[in-house]
Amino acid sequence: MTSTRQATDRRVDDASRSRLADLLVDDPTDLFENAPCGYLSTLPDGTIVKVNRTMCEWLGRPAEQVLRTRLRDLLSVGGQVFHDTHLEPLLRMQGAVREVALDVVRSDGALLPCLVNAVELRSADGAPLMVRATLFEATARRRYEREILAARRAAEASEAGSRTLQQFTTELAAAVTTADAAAVVLHRSRRAAHATGAALWLVEAGPHAGEDPGVVLAGAEGIPADLLDALAETAPGRVQVVLGGGVRTVPAGSALRAVWPALADAAAGAGCSDLVVVPVTADDTHLGALVLTLDDGSADGDLISLAEPGQHRSLNEVETDLLATLGRQAGQALERARLHEETARQAERSTFLLDAARLLARATGVTETVERLAEMVVPRLADMCLLDVVGEHGMARVVARHGDPARQRLVDELRAWAPPHRELPAPARAAMQEGRTQWFPALAEDWLADVVRDPAELTAVRALELASIISVPLVAEGRSLGVMTLSADRRRRPFTRADVELAEQLALQVSLMMAKAQRYELEASTSHTLQTALLPPPPPQVPGVSVAVRYLAATYGVEIGGDFYDVAPLPGDHVAIAVGDVVGHDITAAATMGQLRSVYRSLLVEAPAPSAVIDRLQASWPLLGLQRMATALFATLDLPTGLLHVASAGHPPPLMIIDGEAEYLPVVPSRMLGAPPAPALEWSGVLPRGGTLVLFTDGLVESRSQDIDAGLTRLREAARRSAGAGPDELCDRLLADLAGTHRADDIALLALTRDA
Amino acid sequence: MSARTRNDVRVSGRDGARPMVFAHGYGCDQNMWRFVAPEFESDHQVVTFDHVGFGNSDLAAYDPARYGSLRGYAEDVVQVMRDLELTDAVFVGHSVSAMIGVLAHEQAPELFGAMVMVGPSARYIDDGDYVGGFSRAQIRDLLDNLDANHLGWSTAMAPVIMGNADRPELTAELTNSFCRTDPDVARQFARVSFLSDNRADLPGVSVPTLVLQCSEDVIAPEPAGRYVHENVPGSTFWQLAATGHCPHLSAPEETTAAIRAWL
Repeated sequence: MTSTRQATDRRVDDASRSRLADLLVDDPTDLFENAPCGYLSTLPDGTIVKVNRTMCEWLGRPAEQVLRTRLRDLLSVGGQVFHDTHLEPLLRMQGAVREVALDVVRSDGALLPCLVNAVELRSADGAPLMVRATLFEATARRRYEREILAARRAAEASEAGSRTLQQFTTELAAAVTTADAAAVVLHRSRRAAHATGAALWLVEAGPHAGEDPGVVLAGAEGIPADLLDALAETAPGRVQVVLGGGVRTVPAGSALRAVWPALADAAAGAGCSDLVVVPVTADDTHLGALVLTLDDGSADGDLISLAEPGQHRSLNEVETDLLATLGRQAGQALERARLHEETARQAERSTFLLDAARLLARATGVTETVERLAEMVVPRLADMCLLDVVGEHGMARVVARHGDPARQRLVDELRAWAPPHRELPAPARAAMQEGRTQWFPALAEDWLADVVRDPAELTAVRALELASIISVPLVAEGRSLGVMTLSADRRRRPFTRADVELAEQLALQVSLMMAKAQRYELEASTSHTLQTALLPPPPPQVPGVSVAVRYLAATYGVEIGGDFYDVAPLPGDHVAIAVGDVVGHDITAAATMGQLRSVYRSLLVEAPAPSAVIDRLQASWPLLGLQRMATALFATLDLPTGLLHVASAGHPPPLMIIDGEAEYLPVVPSRMLGAPPAPALEWSGVLPRGGTLVLFTDGLVESRSQDIDAGLTRLREAARRSAGAGPDELCDRLLADLAGTHRADDIALLALTRDA
Repeated sequence: MSARTRNDVRVSGRDGARPMVFAHGYGCDQNMWRFVAPEFESDHQVVTFDHVGFGNSDLAAYDPARYGSLRGYAEDVVQVMRDLELTDAVFVGHSVSAMIGVLAHEQAPELFGAMVMVGPSARYIDDGDYVGGFSRAQIRDLLDNLDANHLGWSTAMAPVIMGNADRPELTAELTNSFCRTDPDVARQFARVSFLSDNRADLPGVSVPTLVLQCSEDVIAPEPAGRYVHENVPGSTFWQLAATGHCPHLSAPEETTAAIRAWL
């Protein structure tokens, strides 16, 4: 059993050994021809002198066609170059190469990826004799390698994208202003997309609420001016469309030409083949759009581009995603920068308005104030400030100021086309007529040409490079006072809504100041007319006495008061003298003074004693309906004898100067006129020949810095020093000594000297 | 770092004799000149070097921006020649190094005495009537092919080639390999080599120039060589019987003889 099995096994072994022997005694020719790899032998110059069948089958050519050609002739162009620059030199230098990847071109044109090993056979002296090469099909391996390569490239691209993004966010974080942020956005996105240029447009609210938002160019780099202009032309129309989509590529071809021929022309002129539009958003709010210009790749630094001329370059998915992310990051940063700038601008505006309010509060005259205001407005708010004001004789341009001294001359020239010579320029005229602000964020050239009235005016306006205008009417208490016009030239950012608000607040302050000042001016002139009318003319010549009078108005506050003096000759060689002071400094005070004086004059018909004058005035005060109280001093002088009667209604006593001595008369004052009546007391005495009587109102002796007693003492001393002077000279000296240059009150002064 | 270290500059031959500077082209390194350069050592000072990124040059000195155009390589050549205080040098440039030589001469003409261009081409891509020999698509194919080779190339090549136990100096050399280089460097060098257009620079060459044209050179075909000859004022055109793009390897005797005869 066992031996039988062993015999059988041996037989089986023998059979398989025999078959194996048969296989191993293989024909070397068959081994060469049908080997699982391609074989080639070439001469040193590459001429193929031997090729196996496997190789021929791979090539799809019979051996006769392959022989006598060269190895490089079997290769793709890339393979040929690699063969000549690497494989051949290496064989020469090293005698062998391994695993060189080359593509063999089959008869049907298909490429067969191969790995090539080769050795160089050399003679004893090292001269090359022959090259033997084996080629292994490497289709799957090459595909795998390509996938690895593609994956690595993708990883590198993604890493580069991350780096770009990181750099972008770092730089954006450092950007404080919109301009900084815009510069970063432009620079980085342009590099990320390998774009020739980039421009950033941001949405800005229009002049009127509810209007479609306009777009403003925030910055650009690498885009020629005409292409930028063409883009700007189309931007407002496209903005809504663009904002809706993601990153879009717009080929600068016939489709674009059909819609925007000018843009297509400009793009072609700039060598731009495609426009890429990237929305700039922050939390779903569309802030604007970034436009990148791509070329066809025909310029790549110093190098020739591999892109065929005229070919369109498309962004790959990684680039598109990166740009979309950049757009969102940019939006966040721009929003932040805007908020920051807005806060800073708010603070700046508040400061500006506060400064303006301070300036206006100190206002002493309209003209001077508006001029100083213009100095503040230019250049802080605008490049030019014009103020046209309604006056007594129509409108007049009271301010025309430019921030640039070189352009002031042009602004002065414009006066020729402004009030009072001509009517207002169009924006100011519209503001006046409609009673509301006119805002021109941008000025179209044809509009300008349309609204100016003279070619010379247009020349001046153009030279000023006006880019943006605000005209605000000046209105107060329902009256139109004038119009303020501000302009920005091309060097300044166009006026925004915030600028308009600021201008309006400023105009309101100016209007109130002007209205107040105009009211004061009106009142002052009315009062002065009134007072001049009420004050008696220079005292009449009275025989036996010399009289001098002075009336000094207050130097600040309202230039009007209720002081008066009066000298009236009475029958029987008598003269009546009076000095009074109505409380208050306004028209009412002046009017009261006028009434008081008239009533006093009418009383003189009966030549009453001074105390009687007071009693009668007191008695009639309620009947007269006088609204103010008053102090007064009444006196009568008998000219032949010098007998003097004096009565006082709450008034400072008169001063008598005799022989160089000055003394106040001890007149006991009764109550002020208008106060509850009490009997008046009368002082009687004699004014000797050569003696002088001085009557005055408290403005002479009373001031904010000294009380009335000190003032009275000073007056007496001054009078003593001036004793001997005539009434005129005395008045002048007393005023020189006592009346300061700044007076809060009027002064009435009367000096009477009895002839010696 | 000195240019000598950076570019692995090797100087041999007769000190004080007229210098010859051999610049390797696209492909491998200064070893390409191993059969030609020694032939001039008897009566010249012979200088060979590696472009940065190749051979034993200092890879750390590779700056993609500097070497993003041939000018960066030309600046290196000028620095090498200035470091060695060469004058009246014969610059022998193979392939793209012929154009690097043109640019170096533009930067410092005083260093040059003569120029030998081996297989030059001022532009590889056809342009209108100009024949460079390649279409854009073909150059793309070439760059792709280069990528395909880098994967196996960078790690596997040198160890496999070893085995010359009887010539240890060659083994050491082989370990460093002649054509191994960083794939990114090789890719960029291929780009600047094949995508440059130096036609406008040719008329500026003011030294005697020899154009050596190989037979059946697919990389620098005869029209490209003739174009260089016609545009370099007073140049000499010499047709070699040697085929391919590397006559200094495939036909060193003929190449040497041609240069000698012209010099």
